[in-house]
Amino acid sequence: MTIAAARQPGPRFVPPALVGVAALLVALLIMELLIQFNFVSRFIVPPPSEIIGSFGRVIVEEHVFSRFLLTLGECLTAGVMLTVFGIAGGVLMHRIKLLQQACETWVAAMAAAPVVLAYPLFMVIFGRNAWTIIMMGFFAALPPVILKTIEGMANTRKVLVNVGRSFNLTPTQQFWKIMFPAALPTIFVGVRLGLIFALINIVGVEFLINYGGLGQLINDLAERYDLAGTYAAICFVILVSVLFFMTLEKAERWLRPID
Amino acid sequence: MPSNASTNDAILVADDIVVRFETPEGPITAVDNVSLKVQPGEFLSVIGPSGCGKSTLFNVIGGLLGEHQGVVTVAGETISGPHKSIGMVFQEESTFPWRTVTDNVGFPLELVGMPKAQRIERARHFIKMVGLDGFENRYPGELSGGMRQRVSLARTLASEPKILLMDEPFAALDEQTRLLLGDKVLQIQQHLKQTTLLITHNITEAVQMSDRILVMTYRPGKVKRIVDINLPRPRTSEIVGSEAFGRYVAQIWSDLREEASRGMQDEEKHVLEHPGTAS
Amino acid sequence: MATTDRLTRFVAAEPLVSHVTLLRIAIILAVLAIWEFMAHSGLLYRDVVPSLFAIGKALYDLLSHADFYFNLGVTAAEIGTALLIGGFSGLAVGILLGANRFLSKAFEPYLYYLGPTPKIIFFPIMIMWFGVGPSSKIALGTLSCFFPVALSVAAGMRQIDKVLIRVGQSFRASTWQMITKIYLPAMRHPIINGIRLGLGVALIGTLLAETKLSNKGIGFLIINAYSTFDMPRMYAMLIVLFVLAIGANALVGRLGDLEGIKRT
Repeated sequence: MTIAAARQPGPRFVPPALVGVAALLVALLIMELLIQFNFVSRFIVPPPSEIIGSFGRVIVEEHVFSRFLLTLGECLTAGVMLTVFGIAGGVLMHRIKLLQQACETWVAAMAAAPVVLAYPLFMVIFGRNAWTIIMMGFFAALPPVILKTIEGMANTRKVLVNVGRSFNLTPTQQFWKIMFPAALPTIFVGVRLGLIFALINIVGVEFLINYGGLGQLINDLAERYDLAGTYAAICFVILVSVLFFMTLEKAERWLRPID
Repeated sequence: MPSNASTNDAILVADDIVVRFETPEGPITAVDNVSLKVQPGEFLSVIGPSGCGKSTLFNVIGGLLGEHQGVVTVAGETISGPHKSIGMVFQEESTFPWRTVTDNVGFPLELVGMPKAQRIERARHFIKMVGLDGFENRYPGELSGGMRQRVSLARTLASEPKILLMDEPFAALDEQTRLLLGDKVLQIQQHLKQTTLLITHNITEAVQMSDRILVMTYRPGKVKRIVDINLPRPRTSEIVGSEAFGRYVAQIWSDLREEASRGMQDEEKHVLEHPGTAS
Repeated sequence: MATTDRLTRFVAAEPLVSHVTLLRIAIILAVLAIWEFMAHSGLLYRDVVPSLFAIGKALYDLLSHADFYFNLGVTAAEIGTALLIGGFSGLAVGILLGANRFLSKAFEPYLYYLGPTPKIIFFPIMIMWFGVGPSSKIALGTLSCFFPVALSVAAGMRQIDKVLIRVGQSFRASTWQMITKIYLPAMRHPIINGIRLGLGVALIGTLLAETKLSNKGIGFLIINAYSTFDMPRMYAMLIVLFVLAIGANALVGRLGDLEGIKRT
């Protein structure tokens, strides 16, 4: 073992994660004190104790669980559409080289475009309902899935393709038995990105058009001037978003254990 | 140069350096009571097998490794961090890819606030010294590995250090480039009468360039032997091919071989005992 | 004969207009044709798909009135300010987290997991804190772009070739010198990428906030067109917006290429 691999002696007795959490708690405590002693107006920032206190109320009275299911349902619908059309689109573009050459930069440009800003347009087309939300999530999140699918298929190691050819596989067999499985890890990265974009846009649009599940909850509470409730709802949405993100990460790691 | 000169004459003194590290397998002693003295204008090489702690020693003397026992003094002053009289040349590629050759070499001068015109002139002087005139406005990406090491060398020389400290600067280069660069460095050192401390694992290089060679043991690194190289300068290819030269090399190799094979056994043992880990 | 072979191969080379371009033109024309058909077919509620001529006219109207440019200026100023504040604070935090392993392990997870949450939901808070004017939009834009910049810079710091840091230390560079002469130049690609992402989300955040609650800016114009059901105008606005957004993104990307050609 080289000396370079050895660690230097250092503070090993305080795990950093604990420090992070502690810092957060200290910050909350300071906020609480500042507000209670009127250094910060409680009409602008409610004291953390009040926010935490309103969690129970919000969860029960505002039917947070059913709202969560609604948002989840929208995400899943968008997610399924995303996966099907995104992968299909990517595969199509990979198979038809000319199509890829013509359209790939367009798709990349769409990835950089603020698609979600077209939500008023979608409202006109679909009405102020769940379909606007789902479609927005779908369109905003489609480009990364397509792009990653193309990438995954393009990066199949040549040798694997040659193995298939050496066994005289038909193009269809070649696709299903070799190229698609080999591309799956990258495709999954694309789907993960797509799902995250979908969630972000879905919750955002729910907030903006004041319809739907969790996003709408925040809007509602804000318009009712329920300060503590609004903060609580935002915390809740953050929590859901973080858990969603973590779950996707775990799933991805499970799918590609060797990397 | 006599090796038993009094400490008062020596420009660099390392006294009883001990360096220990914490590793997942427990503490290891990288450097164990190493002392050395370097006289002004002297070329001292430190040679040892991989894992003998010579790079650690390099970092201690260069002031980049604070956690050690023992004291390093430069012209009487104890160091507590990189000292202005010590210039370091690293083993890895260390030129700044976003700066031209001139801007690279002028870097230390920029740090101390030298005015631009003066900086450029000084940089040009050292660029010429390492034989890279004509390449002032190129970027390191356009140069070969050997040329880049020359830029690193010029950069360190531009800060006009009293002591030049080099850690296997030619290790990444092919043999022929290494020999040519070695010649160049020797030429510059003799011309500037630059005190130089070279860390290396290459015996021929050490014997060719040095006044004295310090041979280290395998970990924990101690001083095994100090060899005076009483060969005339300049060290022409005749001298390199001479019998005396060969005897020095053989002598040092017999010391090193023992240490090197201890090192190899240790490494093999480690791999066997820790399957699945990277070393 | 050998020469005829070579001649034939030459003749069979690139046509004047490449196949790719032809396909692109074909696709665009097909889309436009279908659009125009839908517009006149009466299949959809009136004006949901306005005729291309109507859109063109609205586009012309839009771009020829000072009104639009005033609002564009407001939005651009909001985004620019958000990018400045968010960018610099992201840079500072990123450098801090990237330089210190401990701080990184303690606090970077917060940034990492908060990054992909929709920032627009914080808008009610921004309104409470900053009022209904441009400040709340700038605040939201700043919040949005802080995260990608900080994360990109923190990662960039860790990827800096360690030896370059040791060179700076061996020459006793001060902290400020280390930052300006070593860290920042070594990280120019992650920084530019971070800014590119940051610009994208700052743009979205600011504009969405404008659509929600504002009386100026492009977002306001869009939602205004919606509420007056002036569909051709809305389409025109969206076209202009998308062109500007994609253009800005490409420009920042090009900035990266410019510097990086010679110097890895």
